[in-house]
Amino acid sequence: MFLKPSQFVISFVGLLIFLTILVTGCSNTANDEENRSNKDKDKSKVLTFSWSGDIGDLNPHTYFPNQWFSQAMVYEPLVYYGEGGEIKPWLAESWEVSKDAKEYVFHLRKDVRFSDGSLFNAAIVKKNFDTVLANAPQHEWMELINQIKSTEVVDEYTFKLTLHKPYYPTLQELTYIRPLRFVGEAAFPDSQNTFADGLKSPIGTGPWVLSEYKKNEEAVFTRNEKYWGTKPKIDKVVVKVIPDGESRVLAFEKNEIDLIFGNGVISQDSFQFLKESGKYETKLSEPTATRALLFNTNREALKDLKLRLALQHAFNKQAVIDHIFYGTEKKADTLFAPTIPYTKINVKPYEYDPEKAKQLLDEAGWKQVKGKPFREKNGETLQLELMFISTDNIQKAIAEYAQGEFRKLGIDIRLTSKEEENFWTTANEGNFDLLFTASWGAPFDPHSYLSAITSASEGGSPDHKALSGLPVKKELDRKIKEVLLSTDKENRNRLYKDILTTLHEQAVYLPISYQSNVAIYHKNISGVNFLPQDYEVPFTSIDVK
Amino acid sequence: MSWFIVKRVTSLLPILFGISLITFILLHLTPGDPAAAYLRASHIPPTDEAVATLRAELGLDKPLYIQYVNWLIKVVQLDLGISYVSKNSVWEEIMLHFFPTVQLAFASCIFIIVISLPIGMISAIYRGKWIDQFSRIIAFVSVSMPAFWLGFLLIYFLSVKLDLFPVLGRGTFAHLVLPSLTLAFPYIGTYMRLLRTSTLENLNEPFVVYARARGLRERRIVSRHVLKKSLLPVLTGLGMSLGNMLSGAVIVETVFAWPGMGSLFITSILNRDYPMIQGCLLFMGAIFVVCNLLVDLTYAFLDPRIRWEGGKK
Amino acid sequence: MLKNVKRKLLSHKLIMISSLIIFFMTLLALFAPFLAPNDPNLVDITHKLQGSSSKFPLGTDHLGRCIWSRLIYGIRTSLGTAFLVMGLTMIISIPIGIYAGFRGGWVDYLFMRICDILMAFPSLLLSLALIGILGPGLGNLILAMVLVQWIFYARVIRGMVLSVKKQNFILAAEVCGTPTLVIVIKHILPTIISQVVVLAFMDIGGIILAISGLSFLGLGIQPPGAEWGMMINDSKPFFRTHPSLMLYPGMMILIVVIAFNLFGEALRDVLDLRKE
Repeated sequence: MFLKPSQFVISFVGLLIFLTILVTGCSNTANDEENRSNKDKDKSKVLTFSWSGDIGDLNPHTYFPNQWFSQAMVYEPLVYYGEGGEIKPWLAESWEVSKDAKEYVFHLRKDVRFSDGSLFNAAIVKKNFDTVLANAPQHEWMELINQIKSTEVVDEYTFKLTLHKPYYPTLQELTYIRPLRFVGEAAFPDSQNTFADGLKSPIGTGPWVLSEYKKNEEAVFTRNEKYWGTKPKIDKVVVKVIPDGESRVLAFEKNEIDLIFGNGVISQDSFQFLKESGKYETKLSEPTATRALLFNTNREALKDLKLRLALQHAFNKQAVIDHIFYGTEKKADTLFAPTIPYTKINVKPYEYDPEKAKQLLDEAGWKQVKGKPFREKNGETLQLELMFISTDNIQKAIAEYAQGEFRKLGIDIRLTSKEEENFWTTANEGNFDLLFTASWGAPFDPHSYLSAITSASEGGSPDHKALSGLPVKKELDRKIKEVLLSTDKENRNRLYKDILTTLHEQAVYLPISYQSNVAIYHKNISGVNFLPQDYEVPFTSIDVK
Repeated sequence: MSWFIVKRVTSLLPILFGISLITFILLHLTPGDPAAAYLRASHIPPTDEAVATLRAELGLDKPLYIQYVNWLIKVVQLDLGISYVSKNSVWEEIMLHFFPTVQLAFASCIFIIVISLPIGMISAIYRGKWIDQFSRIIAFVSVSMPAFWLGFLLIYFLSVKLDLFPVLGRGTFAHLVLPSLTLAFPYIGTYMRLLRTSTLENLNEPFVVYARARGLRERRIVSRHVLKKSLLPVLTGLGMSLGNMLSGAVIVETVFAWPGMGSLFITSILNRDYPMIQGCLLFMGAIFVVCNLLVDLTYAFLDPRIRWEGGKK
Repeated sequence: MLKNVKRKLLSHKLIMISSLIIFFMTLLALFAPFLAPNDPNLVDITHKLQGSSSKFPLGTDHLGRCIWSRLIYGIRTSLGTAFLVMGLTMIISIPIGIYAGFRGGWVDYLFMRICDILMAFPSLLLSLALIGILGPGLGNLILAMVLVQWIFYARVIRGMVLSVKKQNFILAAEVCGTPTLVIVIKHILPTIISQVVVLAFMDIGGIILAISGLSFLGLGIQPPGAEWGMMINDSKPFFRTHPSLMLYPGMMILIVVIAFNLFGEALRDVLDLRKE
């Protein structure tokens, strides 16, 4: 049994070879894939994109981990949100609204088929509406869901929606990426409840079909050859999961990905670096939404308006704009950009004024204590927890900056970073002091954003809990509910102004900047535009040379 | 031989039991109510009533030892629970991430052997010469080098500056080179010195002296006789290191965005995904123990003296 | 004999070099507030990512903080934490190891079984899991490392005690009816303590590496504290444009760890001890 030396050497070499084969063998599969996609590249056009997380289970009726952009690739709305907020026909080629504005009749396109070949008709529209309505409490943030009284199939291609009360943003809310978009019959689970039990497979009407999917690694979308509308120019979109912004930039420089798109997907420093290299195309969208800090008024310290005001004056927005954004984002003073309907209000912005902030802190009872770096009140240190999403490079940069700035005023900021899903769960439970938030952009601002404030449901927003420490919260909720159902434009104007002024005076939001989407792509790529709904990525118009 | 295997395998059982016990206890130290967390993970609002029902359903109202037994029965059936974050079965997630790490670890083993074997032996033969000094410095640097820093240096110089390797992620064979080299680096120094020491010892053994006296050429002596004897401790060591590499992989995988067990473990820690932490710990502990067992068996296979001693005990 | 050791120590080149480095680092750490030109946590974004200047000897990081000052304060964090971990480990493992070794019997048996189980996990993995459960932070990091480390030392100490126990002078003391506690303190502790200290010194390097690794993963000290591993993590977004941000802290870790490893090794050579 005792091996002879020569045998031993042979078996050892054998072991080495075995290990080598095992390792290379492991990578062979990957190799083949690479080869295949390289070969494919010769014949067909492939765009490789990256995203910070998995695309989720591609269910248009649910939320996170589903990603807006991937849901929008596969599922389509009845009506489409066009440039400047114009409502355009989409799966419905026309519609009629009754005089009392309570009945909407949609005439559906007759040439639409789901990717499995099944027919798109009024029956499937009703089925999708009904499954969403069956889970209404989960979608409470979207007022339309609460207002729908009944859904009805008039004939094969005519669908009727009846509301409890006239609701002015009805058509606008029908353009949303979720939850009112349509899956095919074969996608429904046995229980028919898509919210609780998910889909059997992602069958939509959109220009893209999910063809390969490796969770947390990559997803491949192939062009839907049966698509009724303008077909995409490229054959395939590969979405690689790259959680880290820096890795994304490196992969982009190495030509491993073709396009970087979105907000916060890479740091501003990297964006600047790539732009200045001159080797790539870069684009910056018009402002889409407002980046802001949300104060949790449920926390004892932040219940005090004086402290909130102090924080407003302590934050140097201009420095952030100049040195973190390099001027790519514009300074924001109100929760919604004045370009958004109904949001022009005449209020005095909170200017950066550290002296005033100190004075307010003193007034609030937070006093400097000799020999200690942070202010105290009744023996308690002024410590606030600021939560941000760990994969968001811009939030991290601002958070660290804020920590350093506030420290100078004697405010101890504790940074907590959380992965996105965990972040929102914690946020919705109200377990934070300060939080990065952003208004929702078109077509959600301002009505849906405000509506979500009133909703306690899981699909709502953390703002509900965060604002509930305000004495005026009940009044605010009532006004928001009222404005959504108001039919008179003048009245709406007045109410919105009232609501937004209150929010400004209560200083619960610290608006920082109007954020923009960035697009960086290699020079062989064209057709990268920014779409009116800023969560969408313009895969359909992109071409690869 | 078979008696030895049986004996070794049975001695494993109490350790596996201990591992499971520790993992179980650790999870019970976690803050928060698992029932409420479970509900939240399933998108059900954790009302008091729902929590109470679920607690009964999951057996959380039973005494701790019964909970342990129930949990153990599930674990044996590979049911490690559901991840709070991804909502997938923990076992499936682990299986998904295990293979890339194994690949990484094996590739590192190749690096270790290929680099440390020649240098180690040469520095023993030319003891005190410059090559020996050089290997000593390398050994010191290799055990003192922070792996994450080395990873970045390699990326910076070899990928970004010289464009020799892909930067990050998993894919082709070339993707494997930098992370496995980084993972192997601390072990290279250790094994280099280990090989040097054992070669030195063997060079003074009577059988070498005898071979020299018989007039065999030095090269033949080294390649035929010394190499084999010196390799034994390396082989054992490698098996043990394989388990340690699993934990070293945590840092290397983070640096190189390698989708393996290490990344899974660290993300679940950062997200406080307790079932996943528990699953990973249990799994990696078991792998570590099994690795050690395999090493013992190989060793016994190669050197019969051990199994006789083992048998006698 | 002691004189002999002393002479050996002084003539040993490696010891001289490494202890000089360690001494120098300790000085830097102790007098950090006087030696650092700037407040290590002072954020001034208008000075971000600057090169070296008279105000900032090594330039500034992405928040305009002085890198040199942060490096110096980083010594405090790294060395301080490492020695704290080691100290706490000793406080736990010395009494337990001695007790298990001296008492023997079922106590020893139980102790060895606990060892078997705890050592079945790779140590970094167990620390990681503990931090995962306790939550990230410097305090928890220290706790987790101590909880994992002590068992190794306790086991080694137990082994030492076992071999010392059988020696004649202990047996003689026992026969004379000396109380156990006195035997332990007067006879056993002095014989093993020097070996234990050498062991501890040899491991300090490894502990510093582990601390910086955990901080790099975001599990150790939280921002804005200065720590080398975290500085490297912070510099990730800039490592192509400003590689020096990453180079300096890495160099510091490397130098300090090499110094401790050399020192430990040389100490072992001189005292002619072998680790287990």
